Amino acid sequence: MHIVDGALSNDVVLGGAVLAAAGLAMGLRRLTVEKVPVAGMLSATFFVASLIHVPIGPSSVHLVMNGLTALVLGWAAFPALFVGLLLQAVFFGYGGLTVLGINTLNIALPAVLCFHLCRSGLASPSASRAALWGALGGGLAIALTTVFVAFSLALSGDEFLPAAKLVFFAHMPIMAIEAILSGAAVCLAHKVKPELFQTFSQIEQRSTP
Amino acid sequence: MRNACLTAGLLMMILTSPAAHAHKVIAAAFASGEIIEGEIGFSNGDMAAGARVEVFDLQGTKLGEALTDSDGVFSFTPTKAVPHVFRADLGAGHTAETVLGLDELPVLAGTGDAPITATAPATIVPARDEPHPPTGAQELLDAQRLMIAEMIRAELRPLRREIAAYKEKNDFQTILGGLGYIAGLFGLWFYFAARRRQKAV
Repeated sequence: MHIVDGALSNDVVLGGAVLAAAGLAMGLRRLTVEKVPVAGMLSATFFVASLIHVPIGPSSVHLVMNGLTALVLGWAAFPALFVGLLLQAVFFGYGGLTVLGINTLNIALPAVLCFHLCRSGLASPSASRAALWGALGGGLAIALTTVFVAFSLALSGDEFLPAAKLVFFAHMPIMAIEAILSGAAVCLAHKVKPELFQTFSQIEQRSTP
Repeated sequence: MRNACLTAGLLMMILTSPAAHAHKVIAAAFASGEIIEGEIGFSNGDMAAGARVEVFDLQGTKLGEALTDSDGVFSFTPTKAVPHVFRADLGAGHTAETVLGLDELPVLAGTGDAPITATAPATIVPARDEPHPPTGAQELLDAQRLMIAEMIRAELRPLRREIAAYKEKNDFQTILGGLGYIAGLFGLWFYFAARRRQKAV
């Protein structure tokens, strides 16, 4: 999922950085005081999740947890995921500092799209329906991220379809696992802290007149 | 009950997950007699079989190509006395690069290039063009030297691999450090956001 330094052409790296900066600005405006502790928590989850590997064939893939981050945070997932990616690059050597922008974009933007797709379903009063939407959001975020990654590789000269297939099929188990995790997390939040999704969406609406 | 199951499942996954990271590609190259030998592999110890390795000089001019065998080992015969850049692209954004500097290059055999032995005093030069008549003893000595060099290389190979794997190791301290940074950064943001709000009120 993390594209490494030197794998992409300069145009793609620059374009990704600009778009990621825009997303970050948008996310920071939405990062209200109420959301900051949750954002930190989810950022830490994202940071550590990358250490959990699922071996597949000759290679292995790791958890991403971008779906859940954005389902709770919305646009504020951009800064949360950016911080996680930055620290992963510095501490673990995942990705790299020059490709930080494009990696942030590839991981955060699909998740934010899923958030907009699922937000009404998440606010549903029925816990099982909300969990279903949460599972859908968690799985779809990974699927879209693989498409984004393949697309950035395609823009840099790789063939799109083979690259997309490779990344997509390698991440199939991750999609399933994250769908289950996100669904379970949403279900749990619905029971013990039902205001998590409602309050935040209200704040979101208030801050965006 | 359900939460306990989830927590247990997560813990299991964390504990059973390999510490290495398969999606990082490691490349190493070193002189081996008259050729350059190298390895391409993933950081969890899997080697990349049948991968194409492209060789460039520092200016980006392509010098040649090599293919890795089933153990991820490739060999390349250098023809120019310039630093060599080895680049492997394993697809899907998995690339690795390693540079072999001028002083690490092997002795060039039978080319018109300036002998690089002057910059690489440590490399073994078979004394073919020595003025004194070649004796049986001298040849034996050369053969022995080559044999010892080959032996040392074979002995060092696992060590080299271990060092490469060690570089990729993430210990608990690193993880805790990262978590600390996250807590600090968001704490700072929280502080400023709260102060801004207090001023506004």
